[in-house]
Amino acid sequence: MKTSIYYRIALLCIVFGLGWSSCKTKRPDNEPKKIAIVISTLNNPWFVFLAQKAEAKAKQLGYESKIFDSQNNTAQETDHFDNAIASGYDAILFNPTDADGSIVNVKNAVAAGVPVFCMDREVNANGAATSQILSDSYSGCVAIGKYFVETLNKKGKYVEILGMVGDNNTWNRSKGFHSVVDFYPGLKMVAQQSADFDRNKAMEVMESILQAHPDIDGVFCGNDAMAMGAYQALVAAGKADRVKVFGFDGAEDVVKSIQDGKIMATGMQFPEVMAQTAATFADEYFKGKRDFPRKMPVAVELVKKDNVENYAAYGEKQ
Amino acid sequence: MPKPIRYLLYVAVFALLAYNSVYFRKLDEVKAGAETFDAAGYARDFWNKKLMPGLSKAADLNALVTQLKTEKDKAFAQHSHALGIGNIRYFLVKGQGVVTGVDENEVAVEVGNIRARIATEYIFGNAVRDASGAIDIDAFTNSMDFNNVSAEINKLIREKVVPPFKSGVRKGDRVSFHGAIELNREHLQLDNIEIIPVSLQIEKP
Repeated sequence: MKTSIYYRIALLCIVFGLGWSSCKTKRPDNEPKKIAIVISTLNNPWFVFLAQKAEAKAKQLGYESKIFDSQNNTAQETDHFDNAIASGYDAILFNPTDADGSIVNVKNAVAAGVPVFCMDREVNANGAATSQILSDSYSGCVAIGKYFVETLNKKGKYVEILGMVGDNNTWNRSKGFHSVVDFYPGLKMVAQQSADFDRNKAMEVMESILQAHPDIDGVFCGNDAMAMGAYQALVAAGKADRVKVFGFDGAEDVVKSIQDGKIMATGMQFPEVMAQTAATFADEYFKGKRDFPRKMPVAVELVKKDNVENYAAYGEKQ
Repeated sequence: MPKPIRYLLYVAVFALLAYNSVYFRKLDEVKAGAETFDAAGYARDFWNKKLMPGLSKAADLNALVTQLKTEKDKAFAQHSHALGIGNIRYFLVKGQGVVTGVDENEVAVEVGNIRARIATEYIFGNAVRDASGAIDIDAFTNSMDFNNVSAEINKLIREKVVPPFKSGVRKGDRVSFHGAIELNREHLQLDNIEIIPVSLQIEKP
């Protein structure tokens, strides 16, 4: 008889999907609330900076926080979300790995009563996240595209190195850039390849492109890590002086390279602003606020030789 | 109820639930069924119903620059729009000026004692979309749709506003304009203002 009861309970659990959401750990009320910071990858200094600033702001506001690295893997990201929900985290500051693939994680967390605030990257579902604080990548790359056209005098061969193809930022940047550059028939894109926002991959991609197209005039990269990788490949090929490299992010080594005349320009994002806004939104959520903007774009600024003195790594010069 | 029949019933219920919970469709069918956003239609609607009627609220460029020099924060608060946070803000402006130069990319104008440039080549970005403050970003499913609206608005300017102006304008002409400008609040530059035109009229001397 006992076996039969257990069997029925197990069957009901399977059929009606009773699972982890009911197993959420309860904490005593006097303990500080906990904020999980789930980041697409910590293999990129820009995301490390974003995570650290989010953590610092959460701590400053009086909350416990922990950083989780998804290693650009949506399955790992799902594990982090499941752990965060089951471990009783009260909010998630989230840098998604995939605009579509990450939606389910956001929805699960919100359904379990855990608000999610996206940072820098978005998920393609309006209203899934509590709020999305995003770099205005498109506008930033429009500015880069315009400067690219001016610098190359509307003609020449160029290469585009894309970030991760599943990320909206990749395409917003590419579309912003092409919304300008494609108007100029004298500018011919001879290669467009992904290097997953990774410096080493970008170097390899650039090396192989240079073998097929040794006479390029410019390279547009979807982030600064790839710009540095492409630049390294150009140096190795002895072409760094004639090929103009453009990045996006506002990373420390690229800001310095613009000062030194090695890289032409970058789009300065403000990860600290995004991280602090996300943590502040979580704080406001805990205090009862619910009417957050669904999307909050953060302006990107063009950094080039004649204004680089205004900027430092990842933001304004203090 | 005999055990085998009871187990059979459980299995049948489970199978029924599982069958109705899982189904397969080709990805291209799903994508084809998804409603695509008509950015061009949205841009035309925005142009006719929001932007044009809103031009009467444009700030006079001369007065705006004077205010920006004396009370910057108030000028930004009163006249600028942006859909997010950051230093970049947009203004809807109007004015009259004298053409001091015409080149491949722009038309230089003197508006009172201000030197500005009316863009005729580089019509890009979100200045016109955002300067009016009449678009709600939350109405869009993703930022790509939203950005495509900018591209379509710029296309309207490039096709309708610029060609008649560019073909007729000469140095010394007097022009009236409405347009959008972008300014960086933190690093304010007022000596090289670029106007993305929305309406342009040439008054021959």
